[in-house]
Amino acid sequence: MTLKSTSALAAVFAAAATGSAFAGNDDALDIVFINDGHVAPYHVAWLAGFEDAIAAYGEAFPDLEISGRWLSAEGSLERMIQQAEVTINEAPDIMFVNAINVDAFEPLVAQAQDAGITWIAVHSAMESADYSFTLGDITNGRNQGMAMCALSGGEPFQVAIMLGQAGNPSGEARRQGILEGISTCDNIEVVAEQPADWDTVRAQSIAENWMTQFPELDAISGVTDAYMYPSLAIAANSGRSDLQLYGYDGDIPILEQMRDGPVMADILLSGTREGWNFVQMAYRLHRGDELEKVYDFFTPLVLTEENHRLALENGFPENIEVYSVDQALDVAANGFREFGPDSVR
Amino acid sequence: MTTVGKLLRERNIIFVTLACCLVFYLINPRLLSLDNLSAISRQIVPIGLIALGQFFVVVSGNIDLSMGMASVLFAIVLGVFFGMTGGVELGLLAVVASSLALGFFNGVMVAKLKLPAFIVTLSVLFMAQGLSGLIIPRGQQIFLMGGFFSYVGSETFLGIYLSFWFLVALFGLAYVVYNHTRIGTCIIAIGNSEENAKLAGINIDRVKIGIFMFSGLCSGFAGVMLSTRMGFVQPGLDGNGLLLDGIAAIIIGGTLILGGRGTIGGAFWGLLFIGLVNNALNLLNVEDVWHQVFKGLVILAALGANWILWQSREATAH
Amino acid sequence: METAGKTTEQSPSPAISALAMRYLVLAALIVIASLGFGFANENFFSLANIGILLRSISVLFIVSMAMTFVMLTGGIDLSVGSNVAFAGGVGVIALTATGSAPVGFLAAILAGMSIGLINGIFVGRMKLSAFMVTLATFALARGLALVIYDADSINVSNAIFLWLGGTSWGNVPVVIPFVVLVFAVLSVVLYRTTFGRDVYAAGANFKTAFVLGRRPERTLVWVYILSGALAGLSAIITVGRVSSGQPWAGLYLEFDAITAVILGGTSLFGGRGRLFGTILGVLLYGIIINGLVLTGTNPYLQSLIKGAILLSVVLLDSWTQRGKQR
Repeated sequence: MTLKSTSALAAVFAAAATGSAFAGNDDALDIVFINDGHVAPYHVAWLAGFEDAIAAYGEAFPDLEISGRWLSAEGSLERMIQQAEVTINEAPDIMFVNAINVDAFEPLVAQAQDAGITWIAVHSAMESADYSFTLGDITNGRNQGMAMCALSGGEPFQVAIMLGQAGNPSGEARRQGILEGISTCDNIEVVAEQPADWDTVRAQSIAENWMTQFPELDAISGVTDAYMYPSLAIAANSGRSDLQLYGYDGDIPILEQMRDGPVMADILLSGTREGWNFVQMAYRLHRGDELEKVYDFFTPLVLTEENHRLALENGFPENIEVYSVDQALDVAANGFREFGPDSVR
Repeated sequence: MTTVGKLLRERNIIFVTLACCLVFYLINPRLLSLDNLSAISRQIVPIGLIALGQFFVVVSGNIDLSMGMASVLFAIVLGVFFGMTGGVELGLLAVVASSLALGFFNGVMVAKLKLPAFIVTLSVLFMAQGLSGLIIPRGQQIFLMGGFFSYVGSETFLGIYLSFWFLVALFGLAYVVYNHTRIGTCIIAIGNSEENAKLAGINIDRVKIGIFMFSGLCSGFAGVMLSTRMGFVQPGLDGNGLLLDGIAAIIIGGTLILGGRGTIGGAFWGLLFIGLVNNALNLLNVEDVWHQVFKGLVILAALGANWILWQSREATAH
Repeated sequence: METAGKTTEQSPSPAISALAMRYLVLAALIVIASLGFGFANENFFSLANIGILLRSISVLFIVSMAMTFVMLTGGIDLSVGSNVAFAGGVGVIALTATGSAPVGFLAAILAGMSIGLINGIFVGRMKLSAFMVTLATFALARGLALVIYDADSINVSNAIFLWLGGTSWGNVPVVIPFVVLVFAVLSVVLYRTTFGRDVYAAGANFKTAFVLGRRPERTLVWVYILSGALAGLSAIITVGRVSSGQPWAGLYLEFDAITAVILGGTSLFGGRGRLFGTILGVLLYGIIINGLVLTGTNPYLQSLIKGAILLSVVLLDSWTQRGKQR
């Protein structure tokens, strides 16, 4: 912020010195992204993508003074509300808010809009927000569950599902989707559902306990790839190479485990991409583009080509878009370019 | 009388732990299966290392709140060095050196500058949390693949995990030092009364610094064990959860939080109890919203049972 | 009894002069931090931002004052944050069921007090470690909150229930004068009543207090009940602030409160400290958090700064004390 105000000051001096009419440089775009956390691998990639995109847009459009920062509520609703209040008082142009609970933010949305700020609700759509950026968590979860159905081989099949934090809207939506997907076949039994609070250490203990509690366990499904890291280590350490893992997020290291590894399916979000998409969206709004009120982030299911073929044979719907591992890896690594400055020139 | 009291306290936690075992067993027999016991043995290693380091600190009348976050920091130090060199030797060396240095810092602040341990180590907790994110570029995760990590993480000797052997060996060593050397006596004396300990000619500062260096080292070990179990490290792991479980273990095991009293055996049983409760939460498939209620009630029940036993035994002893 | 009263009344007074130095240090830090942030961001001193700042720490003020009572007795209460969620849940459910705000208020306070009662009995009567007991109720209260909410939030639209936490007179949130009122009442309780003297006595030395016939067990029970009641009050404010009941409300609150109370110079071993110091501690803490948000500081750097400030305050304090002794 200091940087912004000093450079604005410098611009004023420059304008005064040249005596010009001073038109170009008051074109500024200030974006604030308030997120629910910053430590999970997905968050890390997401926030880094956001930072990089701000820098790239700043370089590509020297006439536009673009600035952005992110804040992390570290899981605390009160902290997030304080951050939102402080931010509204700062009056940026656009706020992205990944609300921990949407109900609690209704008064703030109105307050922000009164201050002329565009409020973009992240992940959980809000009627009152100017725009919502959504993932289709239920659909994605359902795709994961249906993939499991198609790859479970028709025999009795035990799965344990690792959940987010109790009550978290994204986590609940994903869970609901996964259960819906699984219910499309009758050979899969959900033997356990446990919340790991998005925490890898907890996920580690839970997965370990499942391995001993359910010796017949066939698969672990998770609502985030953060749970896949410890699950991979456990599957390897306990010699259970036959254990199937079903992930969600499209973290690059997990996608890499799909070719021969135990990860059978993943949902390709890619945090980097999402961070870049935010900045592109903000730029387009600033430019005056018409955007749909609910923007759905494209998040395909990822399967190996072989498994996709197998799944189709087992009745997996043909109309569901599936990315191969190579495609997904390419998108995860380079997909952010799709939202780069070139995309809006 | 005091030795009798000590023994009774120790027995209480054994009784409570076994009673819990029985109850959980009746609900789900798999709890006492060999597989599950061996899983528990591995899960409690980081908590156990923190409990052990904390034990000496607490008996000396202090507390080390930095242990949990510090262990996350040291896991990341190991990861950063592994990422740079591709090996673990330098990383382990760095962990040992930095954990001793952190303990030394805590110790000097508490012993020489006479600052309350609670505040010093709370500050260090925050700083360790901050550093753990700042020493990795952008807080990203680092993967720890290769011989050392899978060896320590999954190798067994006589059917028991190496990491658990390591914990048991450290506890054994601590038992000998605590009960059969002058160091143990000094620590208890300091915890009971610093004035008297000084009069008895104990170099209080040196003992205190030593205790904190040991707790620092234990955090370092806990970090290494954490990293071998996870296969990767990232900042923001729940270090405070480990810390609280470690403190809970030793207090349930009869260590007086004000210092001056506690047994290594009790601490070990307390550790088993905490490991059992954490494990049972998953194994009994407690519905997610009931998790915390269950944990809170079990700890309260253990405290209450401990108290009742303590009361009744005391009454019969009189 | 006469002499007993005298000794305990006098016992805090030498500590106060030592505390005065701490308050000067804190006040200086508050000024320095404010000027620094004000320089970095012109918005820092805006009336709106000051209102936001004060409102965001209003709950911390109240919980920290309660924590001061607990820590004056040499105890600690880790359950307050969870209790805010639990008491809020009970209050909101009572409100939804009856439609009556007073019933909701009463239910919230009583729920908070009941967790306090559990703490009080285990710590005061059974003489168990406060750290351990409140660690258990920390889990228990959060768990109960999740259970009664079924892990979901409940919307509240009752204007009376939301008034305290949600209304502002211009830039002044209603809750600010309310916090001042609570401070005044608690000051009277702590400095002008026998109960207050008992709190200091129980912390200064449990055994002596017992010998002097001060019934420290009973004092402890009431101190934890008070802490619970104030958690219930904080729950009402929190519900008003977010216009809904939230099962994850009050997360990390206990750590923030303990940090603020320690910053304010209250001894961990009981018997020494004043509510005024806690107010300064909360202010400093709140200003730093607010300023770090305004400047968009990386959260890891925030932790580092928090730790460094905490450590430097106690270092400065011990350094000035030492200078005075020589």
